[in-house]
Amino acid sequence: MRVKLLSHTELEAVKYVLRVKNVSFDPSQLLDHVVYMFEIEDCSRVTTHQLVRHRLASYDQESQRFSSASREGFVTPPSVQSNESAMRVYDQALKAAYQAFESMIALGVPKEDARYVLPNAIKTKLVMTVTAKSLMHIVWQRTALQAQWEIKEVVNVMLNLAREATPELWTKIIER
Amino acid sequence: MKVSLVWHTPNPERTIAVAMRRCYSTKPIEDIEVELEQKGREYWKYLLTRALQDKSLDVFEHYCLELLIEDTPEAEMRRVATAYPFIRLLPLNGRDWLVAMNARTLIEMWRDEIHKPFASTIVERLNANGTSPVFNSVVFGV
Repeated sequence: MRVKLLSHTELEAVKYVLRVKNVSFDPSQLLDHVVYMFEIEDCSRVTTHQLVRHRLASYDQESQRFSSASREGFVTPPSVQSNESAMRVYDQALKAAYQAFESMIALGVPKEDARYVLPNAIKTKLVMTVTAKSLMHIVWQRTALQAQWEIKEVVNVMLNLAREATPELWTKIIER
Repeated sequence: MKVSLVWHTPNPERTIAVAMRRCYSTKPIEDIEVELEQKGREYWKYLLTRALQDKSLDVFEHYCLELLIEDTPEAEMRRVATAYPFIRLLPLNGRDWLVAMNARTLIEMWRDEIHKPFASTIVERLNANGTSPVFNSVVFGV
C-alpha cells in the first residue's frame, strides 16, 4: 500500500488574507477551506469500498472495466498470512478466481463482465480530494479500535501526511 | 463584487487529466504525470473536452479554488451557498468572504442562468491571472 499527498491548500496564503482583513486565525474555522489531494495505491477493494462511503470527498478510481487484473495484484490479510492452512485456501480461491477471469476474457467476455468473478482482495488505485474537516471525521472513524487493519493503515498515513503539510491546523485541533 | 484568487490546486489542468487517466490506467501516479507532461497541453485539452462531453464532471472536483470575494452582500453569498452545497463560506467582515469551491461547482454555476454572472466574475479573475488557460478555454470558451 502506498499513499502520496499530491497537493494541499497553502495555509499561509489563507492566513495572509485573514491578517490583511484583521480576522484572527482560528484553525477550526478553516477546516472547510483546506483541501488535500491524495493518491492511494495498491490497497484492496475491501478498503476502498469502506473509504468511498465517506461521501464528502471526491474520488476517481482505477476502473476494472478497462484495466486488467494481474495474478500478483492481490492483498493478503495478516490473519491469513500467519495461518498456513488458511493461506493455502486463500491462495487456491484467488488462483481459481483469476483463472476464471482469464478464461472468460479468452472466451470473448468483455472485461466489464468478466470482472464479476474477481475477489475484493484485488489491488486498486485512486485519487481522492478531501477537506480537512472531512478528513478529520474519516480519521476519527477509521483509526478507532474497531476499524479494520488495512483502512486503519491507509488513514494513518493520510493523517501523518496532512499533519506534516499543515501542522498548525492539526496540532491546534488535536490540542483542543 | 471583487474576486481575488488566494490559492488554487497547482497545475490544475494536469490534475484534472491525472484524475481522468487514473480511471483507465494501472500505472503509478508518477508514470501518469510523466505521460501527461510528455503528451502536453493539446492532450490535456482533449481529455478535458472528453470529460465535458461524457458529463464526467467528477474529475473537475480535484481542481480546488480558494477565493477572497469582497464587497458582496450577505444575502447574495448565502443564496449562492444554498444553491451549491459544496461551496464553503467564511465571513471575514461585513461584505468580505473567504470562499472555497471546486471547478465542478464553477461549471455548474456557470451553466445556470441565475448564477452565471457570479461564476463569470470568477472566470474573469482566473483568466486575468492566467490561471488554467486550457480549462478556461475548453469549459467557458474564453
